Order: sequence, then structure tokens, then C-alpha cells
Amino acid sequence: MSEYKIRKGKEIAFTISITILTFLGILPLFHIIATVFVNGLPVITKESFTFLTGTFSNGGIGPAIAGTFILIFLSSLIGLPVALLVGVYAYEYPNSIIGKATETLLQIMLEFPTILVGVFAMSIIAIPMGTYSAFAGAFALAIILMPYVAVYTQEAMRQIPFTYREASFGLGLSRIKVIFRVLVPLSKRGILTGVLIGMAKVAGETAPLLFTIGGLYESYPVSVTKPVGAVPLLIYTLVQSPSKGNHRMAWGASLILLLIFLLIFIPIRVSLKEVKL
Amino acid sequence: MFRFFTLFTGGRKMKPCFNKIFKSVRRIDTFQIITLPAVIFVFLLFVLMLFVYFYNALPAFIREGLAVYFKNIWQASEEPGKEYYGLIAAIWGTVYTSMIAILIALPISIAYSVFVIDYVPKKLKNIFIIVSDMMAGLPTIIYGIWGVFALVPFLQKYIMTPLYKNLSFIPIFSYPPVTGYSYFSAGVLLGIMVTPFASAVIREAYQMIPFTYREAAISLGLTRYETTKILLGYIKPAIFSGMILAFGRAVGETVAVSLIIGNTFNLSPSLFAPGYTISSLIANQFGNAYIYRHMLPVLYAGGLSLFIIGLIVNIVGLYLLRRWQENVRI
Amino acid sequence: MNKYAIETKDLKIYYGRKEIIKGINLRIPKHTIFAIMGPSGCGKSTLLRAFNRLLELNKDARIEGEVLVFGKNIYAHNVNPIDVRREIGMVFQYPNPFPHLTIYDNVALGLKLNNLVKNKDEMDKRVRWALEKASLWEEVKDRLWRYPACLSGGQKQRLVIARTLALKPKILLMDEPTANIDPVGTRNIEKLLFELKKDYTIVLVTHKPAQAARTSDYVGFLYLGKIIEVGQTKNVFKKPKNELTKKYVTGILV
Repeated sequence: MSEYKIRKGKEIAFTISITILTFLGILPLFHIIATVFVNGLPVITKESFTFLTGTFSNGGIGPAIAGTFILIFLSSLIGLPVALLVGVYAYEYPNSIIGKATETLLQIMLEFPTILVGVFAMSIIAIPMGTYSAFAGAFALAIILMPYVAVYTQEAMRQIPFTYREASFGLGLSRIKVIFRVLVPLSKRGILTGVLIGMAKVAGETAPLLFTIGGLYESYPVSVTKPVGAVPLLIYTLVQSPSKGNHRMAWGASLILLLIFLLIFIPIRVSLKEVKL
Repeated sequence: MFRFFTLFTGGRKMKPCFNKIFKSVRRIDTFQIITLPAVIFVFLLFVLMLFVYFYNALPAFIREGLAVYFKNIWQASEEPGKEYYGLIAAIWGTVYTSMIAILIALPISIAYSVFVIDYVPKKLKNIFIIVSDMMAGLPTIIYGIWGVFALVPFLQKYIMTPLYKNLSFIPIFSYPPVTGYSYFSAGVLLGIMVTPFASAVIREAYQMIPFTYREAAISLGLTRYETTKILLGYIKPAIFSGMILAFGRAVGETVAVSLIIGNTFNLSPSLFAPGYTISSLIANQFGNAYIYRHMLPVLYAGGLSLFIIGLIVNIVGLYLLRRWQENVRI
Repeated sequence: MNKYAIETKDLKIYYGRKEIIKGINLRIPKHTIFAIMGPSGCGKSTLLRAFNRLLELNKDARIEGEVLVFGKNIYAHNVNPIDVRREIGMVFQYPNPFPHLTIYDNVALGLKLNNLVKNKDEMDKRVRWALEKASLWEEVKDRLWRYPACLSGGQKQRLVIARTLALKPKILLMDEPTANIDPVGTRNIEKLLFELKKDYTIVLVTHKPAQAARTSDYVGFLYLGKIIEVGQTKNVFKKPKNELTKKYVTGILV
């Protein structure tokens, strides 16, 4: 009988520890969101228009927000076409040597240290150009964006039932037409999800921007070949300064960044079954 | 009549070599023409990246050889002759903090996976998964700012100081936690950040265990705890692989770590000492490296080592995972 | 020799090392409904896909022998499979109209991407013609801009038939087209086949001998990769020459 009690005891202890550990794992997210809101909301609500649109000496992060959007747009322009082509290739030739190597490379690039990508972009773009620029930053971000979109594209197309492939080939269409005029449109929802998730990720990246974009917070960016600012980079700089005022700005900017992230991430995530990290 | 007959030569026999050309021309796939260049481009870019690091690190190798990875010294000087650098402190910091991170990630990611799959009602399951995915995608700078203003003060006050006061005779607790910026804080934050990645791998593996094994265990009269233990043993390779991938992620993290590790050259095993990681070193020192003649190549050498560590860790982790998946798929 | 729409000469099909079809000589006359019947899993679908070179989508598949369509070998090395598929249409076991295209666009897809039609008027005419031929026009003429999801199983399958007919093939291959359709829809499609027979040659794969008996002019009994018996339907069913055939048509062999 007592052996049974020991087993039962272990069972209860196990359940309790699992529950505690799980909540320990989940807790930080809620605490983080709460902290950012608590610290950032006062900063934003104080003078929201100025904060969102003004330059830094006027107490605003407008140029940084503009910079972030420019970077997202430019990196998508550079990275999306490549990503789509690579993803489609990986889908169509999963068993060839190149196909398997591509899949492996994509998986490696998914978690590659982003600081290394940033320094690389600096070496081959910023240095030859002689200046920090939005273009250099966008290039680094495009390299980070590409594997996400490629993998999502491949996965989305894999979900298409084989019978649609048969039907399209059966109509006498060439491979390129079958893939780009039938199968890709069929999977556009999954592909779009990948694009949005990639953009969300890239919007929040800091390390690739450290040595590529330079930073521009006193005036709005006008050229992609000149330095530009970005919200994550601004936060990073502000947190390291000793001034309390700067810290407040950092919290405000963090809240903006968090909102951008949540606004893109939650709708996608809720409408999708499975997400690749 | 039939269109494809127009491609016939009407029954005439063509010269064999001409036929062969005909055949190979027809077989060119326009699909490959369009997509293969993109694939090749990506591979070349990756190789170029490796090359850039190697090329820029070369001066450091020439000057000091591989010793640059094993010395602990960082002496910047206006006089090039007096500059001496070594990366071991940064390498140590990277490895140490990442190990702390996966020590934290291991129990939590396992517990979380089991909890979500075995204990949570179906309706809530998705919420837990969304939370985990959000933590994986959250901008790292937000982790950083939270780390600086919330986590570090908390850790310093409630964990590090009591431990130091009472247990400082143990080497790992022997460094006074003055500011809280330390290997420990960085390790904890990294642990929080990489747990979702490990969880995803483990959760998927745990979910894929064929129901028949669970049935078998329960039919033997095992408790939930014992059943889980057995099932976890079944997916051990996946757990291992998840940890390796988490390690790779931790190794590469930059901004969050550089804000709370203290950025000091230390080679201490003490948890509460401040230190450097390779990525935070690059982030911190690259800006002013131009002033000094010999610092830049050393930083590139550091980057190269990070590149290689990241590559090896990822390849090993993926390889183990794939091999296990293939063996186990019924 | 052009009497036959399709003729196979010692056709063998392999999946990897396994021989699925073991040397078949079939002769399918023009403008008939030729049924291929046999128990599930004995290679009927595989055989059918050899006729329009759709088998090649499977990397493990290998073919030996010849398949002559109207007298010409479609596996000759200078024949492009794409051209073969434009001349031979296929209807599948699960009605598979493209879910992301409207009813109109489903029928028009083959025309559009193969550049068979010059302008919108001609396209409209062809789409209408194809839908009428498939006995679907009356039911969908007011909702051409809606998606196939609003159609029943039988209607979806007729849409697939229309999609195929739009390309004006000479031969229609049907892979158990009514396997997943209710009895009423099935009857409609079988009636349609009788109509289509006038202009097309139809090869119908089915695992229900009753369907072969109802609809076809000729039937071939395929069992374990070999044609056991072939001939006019009424003869094969009333007076089967082979023991196995007799067992199959009377339901003993399933």
C-alpha cells in the first residue's frame, strides 16, 4: 500500500513541478509586456503627436519610425523575390542534391547570428560606399528575411494536395506555368503569412543595423544612400546613455515597437495552425 | 490533326547526333532557368560572407597566429606596436552564458511541452503555443531593455546578493554582485529567450509519438508521471537536438546580452562577474576599432569563430534531428 | 491501322524494381467507351496515367514498350509530354476544380495558359461551349463568377470535365470519376458519357464491374498487372472466357 502512496506522491509532485515550470516559462512574456506598457504609456500619452512625429530634440521618434518603415520596405524589395524563387525551388526538387543542400542552408540561415550579417553588410556595402546608408541596412535585413519567407513558401506549397498538380499537368501546362500560375496562387495564403512574419521579425532586429545604417534622428530620411534611423537601434542607443530622460524615451519607443510587433504577429498567428521558428 | 505530330519529322529518320541535340534542347526546363540562379546566388552570398570574415581576420592571424583565440588581453594603444589582443575572455563568456541558458531552457522547455500536450484542455492549447511563439519572435531589444531595468535589479537584489552573502566561499558565487551585470544575468535572460526555440522542437517531437506507445504504457498501469518519463526517453534525441539548436541561438544573440553582461574582460568562473561575449564584444568595440591599427582584424577573427561555432552547432543539431525523425517515422 | 485511338505494345510499367503492369497489349477503338475494370490496387490508375504521360510526375516510375495514340508512339524520344497532355484529357477520382479560381476561370485556365484563344469573346464562347458539352451550363450560367465550393460533388466533376473539354482533346481518360459522388450525380455523369462518346474516345477506369457493364462498349479486365480478358462488354459479362473474369463479374473475386 505504501508503495502506491509513494507513486501517487511522485505523481502529484510531478504535476506540480511541471505546472510551476511552465508558468515560469510563460511569465516573462506577460511581465515584459506589462513593464513596457507601464513605462512607455505615460511617455506616449503625454504628447503623442509630438512623440510619434517629432524629431529627437523635440522629444519625438518620428525619424526612427520612418526609418524602420523604409528599411522594412527596402529589405522586402530586395529579399522577397529571391526568397520566393528559392522556396519554390526547394519545393520542386526536394530530393536532388542541390535541393537538400538548399533546405539545409535555409535552416542554418534561419538562426544565424544577426550581428555577423550586419558586419558583413558593412564590409561589402557601407565601406565601399564610404557611408552608412539605408541600403546597407536593408541588404543585411534582406539576408535575414529571406530564409523565413523561403521556408514558409516551401511549406505552404507542400500542403497542396497532389491531385492539383496532376490536374494542372494534365491540362498540358509546362512546369513553370504549373508552379507559378497555379500552385503558387493556390498557396498564396501560406506564403503571405511567411512574408508578414518575416517582416515582423526584421522590423525588430537591432544587431544588423549597428554598423550599417548609422542613425538619423534629428531629421527625416530623404535618401536611401544616406544614413537612416530605426526604432530598435534608437532604443539600444538610448538605454546605454546615463540620462533618465533618454531612458524614458527608450520606453516610449519600446512600446511603439511592441505595438508594431503585436499588431502584425497576433492576427497572423491566430489565423494559422502551425508556425516555424 | 494532332499538334504534337508537327514535331515529328514525318517518319523520316534523322541523323543520330542531331536527334540528341534535339532531345537535350527540348528537355531544358525554363523553371530551372529562372529559379536556379536565385539558389546559386544565395549559396554564393553565404560563401562570400565566410570569405569576408576570413580575409579580414587574416592580418590578425599573420600577426599573432591562432594565439589570438587563446590570450586574455585587450590592450588598445595609439602605438600599433604596443597593441595586444586576445579573445579568450569573449569566447569564455559566450560559452558560459550559453550553457547557463540551456541549463535553464532544458527543464522549462520539457515541462512546457509536456504540460501543453498532456495537461492542457484542447481549447487552451493554442493560446499556450501562441505565447511561446510570441516569445520566440519578440524583438530582442525589448528583452534587452526589460533585462536592464527589470530583470537585473530583481536578480541582483533577490538572488545574487543573498547567494553572495551566504555562499561566497563557493567559487561560482565568489564575485561581489555590485551592479548585477554579469554572466548570470545574461545567462538567465538568454535562457528565457531561447526556451521557446527548444520548446518548439521538443513539443513537436512529443506530439508525434505514436499514440500506441502511450496506450502501451497506460495499459501497464503506469502513472502519468511514469508514462511521461518513458515517452520522454523515447524522444531523447529530439530533446538533445533542441538543446543544441537553443545553444546555437544563444551563442549568436547580441543586443540583449551586451546590455546586461557588463562588457568587461574577465575570465572568471564566478557567475556574478561581468564579462564579454564574442557578439557583445563586436557590438561594443567595432565602433572605435578604426582608430587602432590591429583591433579590427581581431574582431573579425572573433566574428569568424562565432560563424564557425554557429555553423557547427546548427549543422549538428539539424543532422541529429533529421536522423532521429527518419528512424522514427513509421 | 488508325482504327484504334490507343494501342499498347507490350507495355510494362515499373515502380522502382516492382513490376506493376506486366506486358499489356490493348487496342482501344475510336469513339467508344472502353472500360478497364479490376480490383482496387492492381494498377488501373497507373495504366491510365501511362496514356497521357502523367506517370512521369512520379520519379520512381519507368516504362517499357510502346503506347501508340492514333498510330504514333507518344513515348518516342522527340515527343514533348506537354503536347501529349494537351491532346488527351483526364478526369480524376476526386473532383478537383481549382478552389481558388471561379467556375469560369477553371474552364478557361487551360485555354488561357496554353494561348489557345485570341480574345475575350472567343474565350466566353469556348467556356460556354465546354460547359454545355459537360451538361453543366444550365446549372451554372448565372453563377460563373462564383467559386466551385458552392457546387455539389457531381457538379464539380462535370466542371472538371468541362475544364478538360475546353482544350478539345480527342481522348478522355477517366480515373474512377464517380467513386466519390452520390448515386444521382453518378447517373448524370454516366449519361453524359454516352453523349460524349459521339465525339470522343473514352477510357474509363472503374472498380465497380456494374458500372463497366452499364456504360461501356468494350471492357478489359485487369488483374495483378495483366489483362485477363478483353472484348465487347456484353460478351465479357454474359459469357466470360476466363475463370477469374467469371469470379470477378459475379462478385466472388473482389
